[in-house]
Amino acid sequence: MSRTLTLIGDVNAVDTRTVLTGQGSVTAPSLVVPSGMTKISKVIACIAADNLANNGAVAALLRLGGSAVLGGEQVIVFAGLGGMVVQTGSDAAPSISHPFVLNDVDIAVQASDSITVSVEMAGVDPGDSAVAITLVYA
Amino acid sequence: MPKQYRSREGTITAVTTKTQLTTLGSETAPGSLLVPAGAKMIKAVIAAFGCDMSVAADGAYIVRLEGGGLPEGPEVLAIGASGVQVATGGVNNLPATRFEVDIPVTPANEILIFAENTGEDTGSTTVGVTLEFEV
Repeated sequence: MSRTLTLIGDVNAVDTRTVLTGQGSVTAPSLVVPSGMTKISKVIACIAADNLANNGAVAALLRLGGSAVLGGEQVIVFAGLGGMVVQTGSDAAPSISHPFVLNDVDIAVQASDSITVSVEMAGVDPGDSAVAITLVYA
Repeated sequence: MPKQYRSREGTITAVTTKTQLTTLGSETAPGSLLVPAGAKMIKAVIAAFGCDMSVAADGAYIVRLEGGGLPEGPEVLAIGASGVQVATGGVNNLPATRFEVDIPVTPANEILIFAENTGEDTGSTTVGVTLEFEV
């Protein structure tokens, strides 16, 4: 059996840890690892930026921590993005994110403890971004 | 078997130049990347890059793994490439890629991660690398 936790958020500053606590219309989903779950078995992550800051070039980092993560905080690179602002009068290209799906993860967790999920854009600010993260517990 | 994930990132600003990845976003000095206790292998390398596309050019990106934590010596992986016709309006957004490997490691020893823009200078490129250790 598996259970999921999905969190979303806006990451609007570079090199700044942004803790994800919301889930769209659900403002405060439970961050407690469900009973019977012993590990994170899969991670799904996606990010897209508006590219309104010139010369953006970042790597996106996912941080999994909190008391539930038994081996200490784990940091996983899940995307890279960047770009240049267009010339006046030109059309801008979209920033479309395909999800990064990491299988066979095997990060040990403690049921009934809370997990902390954070995202960072590391590098040169590309503008505002939206992220969505899903953890699959097993 | 449980896994440990260790990451570093950095920005390449010069072509054909080894650039060590030493930071981790808000952690400007995370210190040496040491092989976790009990680890025997790197099972995968996860890498992503974001380029500002500020130069009308094309280049490929490689990652070099070096240091005392690798008893068999350095390893080099091609992680991607980019190019653009004009120096304005280029956009890129790609998920990371997981490269499955079986690289022996020595616990408690350091691994140095470098990235390099080969070919033509594509501008500034931030590269992030995660090493997936099997413990």
